Amino acid sequence: MSDDAILEFLDEATEIAMDELLAASGLARAELIDLIELGVFDLRPGARAADQASWRFSSRAIILGRRAARLRDDFGLNAPGMALALAYLERIEALELRLRELECQLLR
Amino acid sequence: MKYKDYYALLGVDRRASQDDIKKAYRRLARKYHPDVSKEPDAEERFKEVAEAYETLKDPEKRAAYDQLGSHQPGQDFRPPPDWETRFSPGGFEDIDLADLFAHFGARPGRGFSGRAGADFAIAGEDYEVEARLSLEDAARGTELALQLAVPEMGPDGVRRRMPKTVRVRVPKGATEGERLRIAGKGGPGVNGGRAGDLYLDIHLEPHPLFRVSGHDLYLELPLAPWEAVLGTQVEIPTLDGRIELSVKPGAKAGQKLRVPGRGLPRPRGTSGDLYCVLSIATPPEPGEREKSLYRELAAASHFDPRRHLKKGEPA
Repeated sequence: MSDDAILEFLDEATEIAMDELLAASGLARAELIDLIELGVFDLRPGARAADQASWRFSSRAIILGRRAARLRDDFGLNAPGMALALAYLERIEALELRLRELECQLLR
Repeated sequence: MKYKDYYALLGVDRRASQDDIKKAYRRLARKYHPDVSKEPDAEERFKEVAEAYETLKDPEKRAAYDQLGSHQPGQDFRPPPDWETRFSPGGFEDIDLADLFAHFGARPGRGFSGRAGADFAIAGEDYEVEARLSLEDAARGTELALQLAVPEMGPDGVRRRMPKTVRVRVPKGATEGERLRIAGKGGPGVNGGRAGDLYLDIHLEPHPLFRVSGHDLYLELPLAPWEAVLGTQVEIPTLDGRIELSVKPGAKAGQKLRVPGRGLPRPRGTSGDLYCVLSIATPPEPGEREKSLYRELAAASHFDPRRHLKKGEPA
């Protein structure tokens, strides 16, 4: 099937530019900058602080960005609220991964 | 058009104040929001709640909704006659109430048909779809036919949701919780707006033998007591065929044997590992000869598995 579109992984290995992250997430530029300052998003190395066109993110940031925008829209959260909720959600996910790993080791 | 009872969805009275509506929405959002809720039907419930709130939070939309009167949920009904001329000359037959209200009031007098034309670019809708894959399909990569309900402009210039099948190829390397994207495969943009994107959330079907953690696989490997003591060679299944594995003498239950590279493939070349978790199985109905050999063994052995429990006990 030649017309099949191939899905790309959203992960740490792929880099995207700031504009792509803004378009895909639905976050406003000022919100994204706030979230970067709050430590939600990491800039890839090589970015010049004053030059937003040089800012690069991992494509996994799209997942976080979309989630942040959903939390903003559905709960009326501001940037610090989004950052806090995202931090908790990430901790829960890390715990769930660990739980899953331990469950795999249990004998039936 | 099918009626939806937005007040009932939010659990409020038809005369509820705007503030009560907001409170009811906030409470239900906290309970059912798919990002925070583990309720089984959270996503579906939240969509309904959000749709209801989207209309009722806006006094103008709420007034228009109230004009529709009260019907049974799911019941077919006709909006007031002047609505047809105002919003949808092609009729309301197969239009979703949510689509109707989504554009209501945004451009007065033009309704939601878009025929008069918004003059700014609007990005197409994004779609987020859940895909359930078997472990084998995730390992090999697979093709999926996804069913979407995409809004399309009919010949009468009215937006309707049409079923659309999108064929996609999931490359090998996906695992539980993975998210993938195809840019531009969502809804079409309007007035030169970019097309929406399609997101896929990957879930793996439970497998009869293997359990999955990230890209690692776990297999429970039962040993007979004598195999555990003496060590053995066993044949084990993997995702790509059976392999021989040697178990060293003195194996214990719960011990993990790592078989490198025999887990799920990762997107970029390497693979996870396969872990065999050892268990000790006993014969359910040992024969007389077996039992007598065990008794002989019990008499001959000085092994005390509970020695560490006796430390510090009064003599």
